[in-house]
Amino acid sequence: MRLEIALLVLGMTLVTYIPRALPALLLDKMKLSPRVERFLNLIPYTAMAALIFPGVLSVDAAQPLIGILGGLTALALAWRKCPLILCVLAAIGVDFVLYLFL
Amino acid sequence: MASKQFKNGVIAGLPVLLGYIPVGIAYAILAHQAGFGIWETCSLSVFVFAGASQMMAAGMYAQGAGLAAIIIATFILNLRHIIMSACILNRMGEAPLWKRLAAMFGTTDESFAVFTTEKRENCTLPFFAGVVVTTYLAWNAGTLLGAVLSDFLPEIITASLGIALYALFISLLVPKISGNLRLTALAVLTGLCNLLLCLVMESSWALIVSTLLCAFIGVFFVRDEDLGEEAQTNEA
Repeated sequence: MRLEIALLVLGMTLVTYIPRALPALLLDKMKLSPRVERFLNLIPYTAMAALIFPGVLSVDAAQPLIGILGGLTALALAWRKCPLILCVLAAIGVDFVLYLFL
Repeated sequence: MASKQFKNGVIAGLPVLLGYIPVGIAYAILAHQAGFGIWETCSLSVFVFAGASQMMAAGMYAQGAGLAAIIIATFILNLRHIIMSACILNRMGEAPLWKRLAAMFGTTDESFAVFTTEKRENCTLPFFAGVVVTTYLAWNAGTLLGAVLSDFLPEIITASLGIALYALFISLLVPKISGNLRLTALAVLTGLCNLLLCLVMESSWALIVSTLLCAFIGVFFVRDEDLGEEAQTNEA
């Protein structure tokens, strides 16, 4: 391994681990108010929505249809509370078929 | 008890496999194109364990960026994990500091998504550790596969698997909001907010700002009963 890459690995390891670990050091010492607690409870909803949209539109930057139809497939099945693995596999399947024709 | 929770976590992490293997392969191909050797490619996955950052690093390195620039960009991209770790720890309950510090190595968008959509009674440190073990092994297996086999995989397979992580996020989020108007509105608002912010800032910043801003707005209109068992846990 080249020295330059070893340094890159070391640097990236530190700047990736520090944000992950920081709350473990800080949260221990403070009591959260109910408002803050509620704010933290909403984060999973907003973080996941932001991870999905608009990123899903550029799954295949050249063909937005891949992201749109794959995403809608997962959405429709998940809305009907289908098992997680089925939703994911169905989305992959729809995109596979789309690629056959595009 | 702890080992049962760990096992449940390992199982809950399995759907992430479908997403991580192809993304790991895609990363390894990109790293190969950037001139990284097999061990250089794999050591990033072993130590850093952050897909988006590793992809970005390989891309920037290929374009001749300096180490400092790549490391600063990685830091900015990973600031969102502060929020995610805080959420995970808040649900996890009491555990020794060293265990929590070790577990937080495994905070990713995906382990966060799987853990925070679980029922409250499952949100324990051993469960999270199980999710992390599955996702960590999947990520490294994908990287190794890509580094070794990238030339042999049909492109249509890897391309079709590109939707997997998005499908995973959608399938985790949607059942939690379906049938609840206020939570659905909050999710739609966040997506639109993120779309607008992406026009005026880097997408890694847009994600952080829209996540925090919309959760803050949500505090004022989402009711405790919308969050079901979570609100009850808080009152107890």
